[in-house]
Amino acid sequence: MIVEGSNLIIEKLPKIRTRTVRSWTPVRAPDIVGLARSRALRRCPGRELAPRSLPVSADRTCHWCHSTVSATAITHLRCFSAENTDVSQPRLSVAVVGAGPSGFYTSKYLTSAVLHRIEKANDRNDKRDEGDAPALAPFDWSGIDIDILERLPTPYGLVRYGVAPDHPEVKNVEHDFAAQFETSNNNPSSSLSFFGGVEVGKDVKLSALQSMYDVVVLAYGCQAADRRLNIPGEDLEGVLSAREFVAWYNGHPEFGHIGTIVKECLWGSSDICDVDDDQVSTAKVVVVGQGNVALDVARILAKGKRGLIETDTPSSVLEILKGGASHVSILGRRGHVQGAFTIKGDSHRTMLRAKELRELTKLNKEGHNAKLIIRRGELELGMNDSSVAELKGASGRPKTRIDILLRDSAVSETDNPKDEAPKTVCLRFLLSPTSIEAKDSDGGRVGGVVCERTRLEGGPFKQNSVSTGEIETLPADLVLTSIGYKGMPLEGMKGRDQFDHQQSVVNNLHGKVTGDNNLFASGWIKRGPSGIIGTNIMDAKDTVKSIMMFIEENGRVRDEKDGRRGLEKYLEAHETVPIRWENFQAIEVAETDPARLRNDAQPREKILQITEMESIAGILKQ
Amino acid sequence: MWRPTSRPRPVAVSRHLQEVGCMKNQSQSQCGIRIRWHGGGPGQDAPTVNIKFINSDDSETAVAARVDEVLLRVAHRTGVEMEGACEGVCACSTCHVVLEQNLYDTLIDEMEDGALSEDEEDMLDMAFGLTHTSRLGCQIKISEDMEGAVFQLPKATRNFYVDGHVPQPH
Repeated sequence: MIVEGSNLIIEKLPKIRTRTVRSWTPVRAPDIVGLARSRALRRCPGRELAPRSLPVSADRTCHWCHSTVSATAITHLRCFSAENTDVSQPRLSVAVVGAGPSGFYTSKYLTSAVLHRIEKANDRNDKRDEGDAPALAPFDWSGIDIDILERLPTPYGLVRYGVAPDHPEVKNVEHDFAAQFETSNNNPSSSLSFFGGVEVGKDVKLSALQSMYDVVVLAYGCQAADRRLNIPGEDLEGVLSAREFVAWYNGHPEFGHIGTIVKECLWGSSDICDVDDDQVSTAKVVVVGQGNVALDVARILAKGKRGLIETDTPSSVLEILKGGASHVSILGRRGHVQGAFTIKGDSHRTMLRAKELRELTKLNKEGHNAKLIIRRGELELGMNDSSVAELKGASGRPKTRIDILLRDSAVSETDNPKDEAPKTVCLRFLLSPTSIEAKDSDGGRVGGVVCERTRLEGGPFKQNSVSTGEIETLPADLVLTSIGYKGMPLEGMKGRDQFDHQQSVVNNLHGKVTGDNNLFASGWIKRGPSGIIGTNIMDAKDTVKSIMMFIEENGRVRDEKDGRRGLEKYLEAHETVPIRWENFQAIEVAETDPARLRNDAQPREKILQITEMESIAGILKQ
Repeated sequence: MWRPTSRPRPVAVSRHLQEVGCMKNQSQSQCGIRIRWHGGGPGQDAPTVNIKFINSDDSETAVAARVDEVLLRVAHRTGVEMEGACEGVCACSTCHVVLEQNLYDTLIDEMEDGALSEDEEDMLDMAFGLTHTSRLGCQIKISEDMEGAVFQLPKATRNFYVDGHVPQPH
């Protein structure tokens, strides 16, 4: 490609395989516009060469034909790429709200479903030309463009800010998500784009999004609030939700203030600089709840700075954790074999997850100087006839394994294991917190958790915990409640019709939001906050099926939407500068800069301030 | 390169990186190697066996699997919809696959201690649609005896939540 004077001559226009242009064609600048309006343009590589948000300063190599394209040419190509709206066959435009696992999996499966459908339609049409196949219902879309909108500047949601830092292998899924940008944008019929730092409901109204896109998928999860215990003292200083604590130790930019609270709970008024790195805090921590988040939280507190030094835990967090906490208790109001929820087909699961539990049993062996304590008496209390029945049968296998694991680590009340390790993690069962007490010395600060001993009643899989009246008070300097996250409606959502406040999920049927709209839901905000990353795969497939049904039925009757171009214009008009994928990649490069890292093993040192992320991304917000 | 041990075992990322030639304590991004499933493994000229995947929508995909190849990699190479979110280090359950009873038993018998590893069991506990013959695709290595083997991917079910049903918190 050469530029001659004002006339741009494309010697080698990247190979465009359409019915109109079949070979390498020299095109003059004015012709580009003509080409832009033709169907061929949709296959033009201009889009891939340079996203519009970035200034083009250097020549680039075309993804398609590997020829070098000059910066000026790219600018021209981008111009005609931008004009590409009045084409005969539109592309499906989809906005996904939330860049977590459910958002990415929905994008992945929706892209593949649409591409598959287009391929099928083309095959049939080709055959029909030859006269040997009946006509197939035409598919109205020639491709798919998905835009993922995210409130934070960074994608990956709970993979980045929820998965424990000492589980790096779980975070590997980020590679799969990032690769979607590559695979999707390398296919002329699909594209994926990221709009970070854009909050739906504030920066862009939900209704505006619905009018700009053919389909809007809500995948923003349940990170907004917590389920509450609803007991007295829950608002005392030093009572935090595990959600806040997890977000803090993962370096979530909005939870930096939690550090100050944790510091006061663990170290009181002493200056953190005077505390030795290996010093164990004598503070007592009580974690309420026994899900995987509760076990994560306890493990992080037990490991402390030395145990997390090779993870991506921010240095500022390690400076507060120091040697860890000496006493962590994890409370569950039911027995050790009962499930978290009684979901159909899910009854074989226990609240306790074997993986995290096993990690707790290995703490001492792995040199973290922390021992897991389980009271044999409490295990036996929970093993009534119904519990024994729950262990039997096919679905009992995982439960039986948990039971054995716990029994192997259990100790009698008479043993005195405290001498063995400077730190203990106690897993307690059949204790239900009834109130949180204040400290005698400071009425506003947490001092203890009052618990009632419970016993189990009811048939197998239907057991409930019933109070026995026996009271036990656990001293506590920090209380972390881990009884579940809670979804919140988006601003602009239509009241009770679209959001179920009781269940804290969006009202939907297989992912289609109730009512006459183009809204869909996926992930936690669709099904409630439970399950692992992989659960979102089945969930996304379910939503994608609904979306496909919706577009097949409604495709032609709807107006054509502006999609990505509409959103870009809207954000510009509202003075919102989004973080695009390239901007985020710049943030990633900065986070993994060896100069920032504590040691060679640390995967990244997260940037904790949104303003810092924006300045690294080269974005100045007004 | 990916070299599964004779008995497929979960390999921690760090150890895996050592195997692929990264220095100890070098982070993944620094050594520039990403554990991806494309490339590596037994080459194109490796002997193959014919196996069959039954996809979640009940369609079938017959593929030629290379001997010594990990099942998850076979799926990725041949475009079978098996995820593998943790990239094959036995830290998720997204490569869950259901085996025929005979094959399952044979594989278990071949194992040193006659049982699945703790890690694989722990992950399987969380798998969707767990069965008696469930395994993780990243922990199965193709052998010459697997000619004709059938691997069922967990069924996509519209009953994920029965119409309108929302889980009730206890």
